[in-house]
Amino acid sequence: MGQVILGVGDYGASKTPGDEVKTFALGSCVSVILLDPKTRTVGMAHIALPDSSINKVKAAEKPGYFADTAIPALLHEMTKFGCHKKGKGMVVKLCGGANVMDTNDTFQIGKRNALAIKKILWAYGMGAVAEDLGKNFSRTVSISVESGQVMLSSPGRPNWQL
Amino acid sequence: MGTKICKENLQQIIKSVPMLSASASRLLQLTSNSDHQLLDVVNLVKTDANLTARVLKIVNSAAFGLINEITSIDRAISYLGERIVISIAIGDCAGKLFEKELSGYEAAGGDLWKHDLRTAIAAREIVVQTELEVSPDLAFTAGLLHDIGKSLISDYLQGTVPEAIELISSQDSLDYLEAEEKIIGVDHTLAGFELAQAWQLPEELAEVILYHHQPGNASEEFRLLVYAVHLGDNIAMLGGFGTGSDSMQYRLDPKYTDYITLSPKTLANVMLTVDMEFEKLEESLNNLGRETT
Repeated sequence: MGQVILGVGDYGASKTPGDEVKTFALGSCVSVILLDPKTRTVGMAHIALPDSSINKVKAAEKPGYFADTAIPALLHEMTKFGCHKKGKGMVVKLCGGANVMDTNDTFQIGKRNALAIKKILWAYGMGAVAEDLGKNFSRTVSISVESGQVMLSSPGRPNWQL
Repeated sequence: MGTKICKENLQQIIKSVPMLSASASRLLQLTSNSDHQLLDVVNLVKTDANLTARVLKIVNSAAFGLINEITSIDRAISYLGERIVISIAIGDCAGKLFEKELSGYEAAGGDLWKHDLRTAIAAREIVVQTELEVSPDLAFTAGLLHDIGKSLISDYLQGTVPEAIELISSQDSLDYLEAEEKIIGVDHTLAGFELAQAWQLPEELAEVILYHHQPGNASEEFRLLVYAVHLGDNIAMLGGFGTGSDSMQYRLDPKYTDYITLSPKTLANVMLTVDMEFEKLEESLNNLGRETT
């Protein structure tokens, strides 16, 4: 069984049954999960910030870091597995985007990330069928390529499925 | 249920942890004084042969990718900067505390160091990018030390994570700090403060350790610094680098806006810098605690 581990700003995909696609400790970052039932491919991006205009050099180096560059990059990556280039038929799930307690507008990075992602997905005609966003705890996400099952965990809480 | 820690226990725990070396202690005293110069740092480091050797080894490590080897300590320190020299000095004597597995928080070995390093970078960036009247390097050092109390009380918190989370979810405790206090009688800021006293840390660093979750309680002369670390701590947690179960289980003090003007765009820039700097620094300091001399 292989593992595709994605760090902050990484994106990747797998269609190997037995593989697991995983990312650790999402705080305000959001994980975009794309499941393609036709090719049985699982893709994920670990997005840190909403907008790449703050640093174009970083965006070119690590497109997965920003919402506006991550989603096109992930879709492109998934075409290598035979998926539709604009995500037709894909199932979308979102998780992460946490905030600290008593947060103010400035510190709602999790919320801004989630909104930016939804806007971009919308432009592709895509919307999330399931989401676990916000609140104030970190989330570790793992997806089984074989079943497409998305499992979440956080210290001190029982694991749950998305 | 965790085991309660009484005052005598806490002093016992503190006696069992490493002390700061004389040169690390003097380095912290020196650099918290706003009048000091880099030359003073160089002269101090030169008095400690082990520290000199470590600084030279790190500046010539692969992480910095220098073409020509640096053999003089003066050049090494001016290349690395004060904050990295301080990180090396603290790491050399207290690396074990930072690298310790925090089982009471369900955090792996090394998580505390990563969190502290990210808090340090973030606090420094807040100071630089919002032009606060605080020494950026002092903000860095303060960020590095702010959570040191966690490694003192972690063993006593073993098995208490679900209880602590429940106390906060049910609003019986305001935050993780209160939950720690309720469960074992001491929270990590107080434990860290006691260690700061034993280590004879400068007053401003001791205040950061004690008040980084309630910056409004810090004395006025140090409040800016404490707020910078408070925000840095939150930024580290939001970036996914907490210390396990307590991540994001604290309150952001909304009064920071009285002291620091931070736009969403500047915050995004700070977060990005933290990610980029962390990669570089972590690689160069990755032998922390494992190569103590």
